[in-house]
Amino acid sequence: MTPILELKSVSRRFGGLRAVRDVSFGMQQGEILFVIGPNGAGKTTVFNLISGFLHPDEGTIIFNGHNITRMPPHDSARLGIGRTFQIVKPLPSLTVQQNVMLGAFMHTSSVVNAEKEAGKILSFLQMEPLKDLPARGLPLAALKRLEIARALATKPKLILLDEVVSGLTTAEALALAELVKRLPEWGVSVVGGVEHVMQVVMKIADRVVVLDYGAKIAEGKPEEVVKNPAVIEAYLGAKYKEIVQ
Amino acid sequence: MSGWKFWVLMAVVSGLSCLPLLSSNNYLLQVVFRIALFAALGLAWNLVGGYAGQLSLGHAAFFGMGAYGLAIFTSHHIPMWISLILAALFATLIGGVIGKIVFRLRGPYFTLATIAFAEVLRLGAANLDITGGAIGLSTPSLFTGPSFWKLFYISSIALAVMSFLINYWTSRSRFGYYLMAIREDEETASAVGIDTANYKLRSLLISAFFTALAGALYGSAFQFIVPDSVLTIDISVQMAIIAMLGGAGTLLGPIIGAVLLLTASELFKNEFGERHLLIYGTLIVLVVLFLPEGIVGGLQERLKRRKKPPTGAIPSALGRAEVQGVEP
Repeated sequence: MTPILELKSVSRRFGGLRAVRDVSFGMQQGEILFVIGPNGAGKTTVFNLISGFLHPDEGTIIFNGHNITRMPPHDSARLGIGRTFQIVKPLPSLTVQQNVMLGAFMHTSSVVNAEKEAGKILSFLQMEPLKDLPARGLPLAALKRLEIARALATKPKLILLDEVVSGLTTAEALALAELVKRLPEWGVSVVGGVEHVMQVVMKIADRVVVLDYGAKIAEGKPEEVVKNPAVIEAYLGAKYKEIVQ
Repeated sequence: MSGWKFWVLMAVVSGLSCLPLLSSNNYLLQVVFRIALFAALGLAWNLVGGYAGQLSLGHAAFFGMGAYGLAIFTSHHIPMWISLILAALFATLIGGVIGKIVFRLRGPYFTLATIAFAEVLRLGAANLDITGGAIGLSTPSLFTGPSFWKLFYISSIALAVMSFLINYWTSRSRFGYYLMAIREDEETASAVGIDTANYKLRSLLISAFFTALAGALYGSAFQFIVPDSVLTIDISVQMAIIAMLGGAGTLLGPIIGAVLLLTASELFKNEFGERHLLIYGTLIVLVVLFLPEGIVGGLQERLKRRKKPPTGAIPSALGRAEVQGVEP
């Protein structure tokens, strides 16, 4: 089976900083993959590279058989890559429903159809009671879901969830994780990015890629990865590596 | 606003706009001509500045191209009405070229570039032979005879209605939603697959076309144009202020803005002479301070705030306490 997404030796520099260096990984259709790593490890840069908001200096990115290495974001969105933003970016003066309709407009030009589609997605994310409120002033938990709803409305094949649970309380994060776990029902693969909410990662990830200082240091099933000495060192420092072992 | 109320309001507005036709006072007709013309201009600006949120202060360029286009094309023995359309199409074409360049810029840089573009045209028109330099050109009169101002008033109303219909369609079509998404957040817009540069350009093309038609009508009504009358930054600023005062990105905003601002300006002009500009300025400051979304926008915002779902309806995982505005 050919992978839905494949990064081949991707690197990206910002001036002297090598934010992503020589990172390669792939994922299958329907998989939930999490990219984890400490603050500054390059997770968001990886998301920006996949979604076309940034382009790599070296390497190639293949999505569903298309080379998307240099594709602008609106084109990769049309190919089927939906994304959410780490720092939520709602359309503040539009209502929750209108925010989601904007995603749905990718496949229909009719306002009525877009409303219908938005309704389905909002009920999946349990957001129906909020649908007529303007996105401005909603609590973070609702805004995080709104990001997912808008991306899901474009009917993506792959959805990129950057720091999808950061800033949420544990209860809110776990409730959201349950929903993320069900995303493959909608025919989407998921790449999630999380800094440290391992509880969520352990619960829903099929596979984990660990970044540190822009380089991939480990990859595998979540329960294997958390035991990996390199991962423990990246998160807690060399001292803890010895204690754990 | 719900369906029938909206159309009742529109019927009232169209009824009122017929009233001046009963009068044969040329001064009055000239004033209402200007009001309708600026309503059309505000609506045309609203597509780019309101829905798409791109604060252009260079629309005088299209206004001027319409007026000069009409004068120049007719002087080459092209029939008047064809010249009118040609002038508008020419302005649209130039709008396309300029849009390609200025839409690369965002925020204040975009605004500055639009000002610069209009100023370049103004200076060009003041120095070229084809435009008659600073002396200007005489423009052909589209209408003649005793009902001169009545006919100009009717055509300005027709133009305002066309601009309104385009705005109406925009407000409830995918095109309009895309423009609003661009206004709210360009990155989010491209994340849902919107080619933001392309849609901004489309809004500018429509806007330029209607602005140029208005410019041609204006030039034709006053029969003589100079760079400082049709290419001045005053025109650009007035278009923006009319839309913003009434409510940028709303349907009725530009109409209300035009009626209020032009009536006020006319009344104060008679009463206070040159000092009317001071009152005009104060009025704008008051609106910006107390109704930053404009008159219609501010009212809509107040209505929206009243709609809140019942507490029990919101799952606690969505932050129920915060939606209700109480401390958890």
